[in-house]
Amino acid sequence: MSDHQQSNQSGSHDHQSHDHHQILSEKTAVAVGGALLLLTGVTVWIAGVDLGRLNFTVALLIAVFKASLVGLVFMGLKYDRKENGLIFLSSFFFLAIFIALTATDLLFRGDVYVKGPLVAAAGKSQFKKAWVSTPELVSKGKTLFEQQCVACHGAAGKGDGPAGAGLNPKPRNLTVAAEWKNGRKPTAVFKTLTQGLNQMPVFGSLPSDDRWSLAHYVLSLGPSPEADSAQDFAALKIDPTKDDGGAGAGGDEAKAIPVEVAIDLLAVPEPKAQN
Amino acid sequence: MSSTHVTTGGHQHAHHFANAAEEFEASKQGMWLFMVTEVLMFGGLFVAYAMFRSMYPEMFHEASKHLAVKLGLTNTIILITSSLTMVLAVIASQRGQKQKILMYLGLTFLLSCGFLVVKYFEYSGKIHHGLLPGGLFRNSELTHPKTPLFFSLYFIMTGIHAFHVIVGMGLMVWLALRTMRDEFSPAFYTPVELVGFYWHFVDMVWIFLFPLMYLVG
Repeated sequence: MSDHQQSNQSGSHDHQSHDHHQILSEKTAVAVGGALLLLTGVTVWIAGVDLGRLNFTVALLIAVFKASLVGLVFMGLKYDRKENGLIFLSSFFFLAIFIALTATDLLFRGDVYVKGPLVAAAGKSQFKKAWVSTPELVSKGKTLFEQQCVACHGAAGKGDGPAGAGLNPKPRNLTVAAEWKNGRKPTAVFKTLTQGLNQMPVFGSLPSDDRWSLAHYVLSLGPSPEADSAQDFAALKIDPTKDDGGAGAGGDEAKAIPVEVAIDLLAVPEPKAQN
Repeated sequence: MSSTHVTTGGHQHAHHFANAAEEFEASKQGMWLFMVTEVLMFGGLFVAYAMFRSMYPEMFHEASKHLAVKLGLTNTIILITSSLTMVLAVIASQRGQKQKILMYLGLTFLLSCGFLVVKYFEYSGKIHHGLLPGGLFRNSELTHPKTPLFFSLYFIMTGIHAFHVIVGMGLMVWLALRTMRDEFSPAFYTPVELVGFYWHFVDMVWIFLFPLMYLVG
């Protein structure tokens, strides 16, 4: 901070030019300290009032106001040279750029689609009306289940696989019908496979045939499932009257996957992250 | 104090400055530049906070309810009061009131100790309930799979802040020793003022941390 080398000069102290040595009065200091404590009280009080999303903005505004009081009076920016204030403020300008650029990436990844080797060859469906269970689809599903799902859901689908032991919530016991979050019908399981659920990863990169096969196999493990309604098909943009089901049934949509899904596929799975 | 070699106001500015005022301004500007690096360091953490919060708002809401608001509030009051005593120490140094400098530095130091004691109880509670960062997380009440992220942020942000408090306490001891050696005077009190800056910055960071972490999650 300060250098104590002896000066070779006369050693005279130029005290007259201390223009910027504004001495704060104790009264002002105490008043500002009191205001800061009062505003702390306001922050706590207003956090208890439900203003919805405004709570966050209000808390932030009060914090900015308090920090300004500290900066202007306690740190003396009000009396300081303008350039020092500018230097300090510039840091917040860079912080704003930092936040804005990160947000443009992170918060909009769902809107960005990627193509490439990550995306499994989708192609046309090999099955007519793959959403209707057939022994052929169930048997294909069984093979896929043993490759993709047993680690967590267990060989018998009871949710007791070794990799699932540390998960919270636990992997679903597929042999029991109760409390399926997305519902217990082919379109619902198809949706869960496509989008993931809680700890369950996204399997949207599997060809749609594979996802339908898995759905039928998984539902074959428990009691008979509910039937899909017209709305269920509409939600997936599937036309159940057509053999290939149209847009939502797999096919083309798998040629590009959201960048978020791609990142999930590339990332090392985290089954042991929490115990 | 009978001192033969250093007298009040005996500070001599370094030879590369034209005068003491210029040296003071340069030191102060250097401190502001340091403040900028501090803003950007804490800024990185606040960016992480902002992003994770917008990605998992329900998780933040749930997890922040497990922080001790009363202890956080106590520490806010302690830190703001300590900022005030620090300003009073600076004012005393500008006026050359040695006893007052020592008294206010002592008060600031004691308040900082109080801050750390409260922090100790707060952290113990978190450890006891398994509310820990990342893979150390061991709490079954909070079920959102990303909850450990919140506690990673909580411990890193409040931990780095608490580290700043500890550094500040060391600086206060240093200032007190120099005050006792009569090194400061109305003509030279740069170190007192600049440690004051640092201390106010620590207060400033807490002013943001407290509502963001404890209140509006």
